[in-house]
Amino acid sequence: MTAFQEIWDPLLIGPFLWLAGLAGMGAVAYVLLRQAKVDNLKTFSWVLFISIVAALVFVVADLSRPWNLVNALTTSFFTGEFGLFRSWMAVGIVLLFVAALLLFLVALRHTVNIKMLSAVVNAGWFGVLLAAVGLLVTIYSGFLIAAAPGIPFWNTALIPVLWMLSASVCALALAELLIHRDDVTKFTVRAGTALEVAELIAVLALVNLAIYGGSTAARTSGWALVYGPLAPAFWGGVVAVGILTPLAIGLVSWRREIKWLLAVAAILALIGALILRIVVLQAGVFEPVV
Amino acid sequence: MTRLAHLWDQSRCIACGACIAACNAANYHSTDMTNKTWGWLASNIKRVEILKGPRPMLYLIQCQHCDNAPCVTVCPTGASYKDVDGLVKIKAELCIGCKYCMVACPYEARWLHRETGLPAKCMEVECLSRVKAGLDPVCVAVCPADARAFGDVDDPNSEISRRLARSRYVRLLENKGTEPKYFVVVGP
Repeated sequence: MTAFQEIWDPLLIGPFLWLAGLAGMGAVAYVLLRQAKVDNLKTFSWVLFISIVAALVFVVADLSRPWNLVNALTTSFFTGEFGLFRSWMAVGIVLLFVAALLLFLVALRHTVNIKMLSAVVNAGWFGVLLAAVGLLVTIYSGFLIAAAPGIPFWNTALIPVLWMLSASVCALALAELLIHRDDVTKFTVRAGTALEVAELIAVLALVNLAIYGGSTAARTSGWALVYGPLAPAFWGGVVAVGILTPLAIGLVSWRREIKWLLAVAAILALIGALILRIVVLQAGVFEPVV
Repeated sequence: MTRLAHLWDQSRCIACGACIAACNAANYHSTDMTNKTWGWLASNIKRVEILKGPRPMLYLIQCQHCDNAPCVTVCPTGASYKDVDGLVKIKAELCIGCKYCMVACPYEARWLHRETGLPAKCMEVECLSRVKAGLDPVCVAVCPADARAFGDVDDPNSEISRRLARSRYVRLLENKGTEPKYFVVVGP
């Protein structure tokens, strides 16, 4: 029986990573949509803000000392012990709060009519800042687990790349669901198809390298995903439901777009990305000491 | 420079469990609280049995007080830190319980204390106060087989240095680059 890591709860940290990626690449998508002169981004912007807040809720829910959060952060900050240049977790804390603040301003700008707020959010520098922070949040969500030396399966540069591909698919899926404009739909279908192919390659590379080139623990994790107890979730949830079905629908939609089918593909892609993070976290195994 | 370290002599250990029980008694007041992380009792020493191979092997695993400790690197608030004496310690007041140190430790040397929420590990308050007073940690003090030693590996006259000089020893998972300071003596 494989002893999977039970330190980080996959059902809390998995959704956290998913929501952070969704909000992160969603912020990038928001900036691109604004550049493409897409109006009516109110719902889109609120979904992004709610996603980043929910991400924070999930990650705080996994803390074993949440009551000490404010005190520890402020103390470590003022004593210079905060690990901004050392720890991905510290980098993430800063990025998540900055992203939450920026996304709140964006959502507010689409909800209330305040001239100064509109001027700030519409400014070019704000768009660049929002896109950069969104990208960094997504990258951080990958490096957070990739930089944990205790779990060899996670210690690969593929994880941040895979997380970014998968989060990009999620952002496109969100745009597909919430923005109803022909040129946007056309772009999301084409870009989504390309990203699904890239995600499929990255997912298969991740498990393949773990099984054939990894350490004992990484091999155990890869085996658990491909053949073992996590195989149904991996092959069914991640590969079939999350990647192949949306990919097939995307390919069909290049010729003829069927709105409800595209919506189904978007929802499945979102679900697949969530399952991907949960099973990758669940599959973590410590290296045998001897 | 002082670099305090642990030595465990596998060839002398009789697997009596005195060190494990003493750690539980001294640092956790003989509590019967379970250590869910390891499926073990509240003690900073874990017993690992290797049953494959021609004969069973026993290892006692605990914090390696690595010179290049991943738990210190990943800690966002500086709660895990390396002290001037070379030991890896925890400032409870700075710990948020993110458990990053626990997944970062290749030795799985930390366990989650159910009541404090802290990622517990060797050495706890009682042992640290003993070391400060010039005494050995409890696991070393109670060992009936003299299978344990503790001291400064940078001091050539310390007991641990002398024992290391005359023994064959290994360090666990050296390929991880953690520079562990838990020396497992495997023979003379």
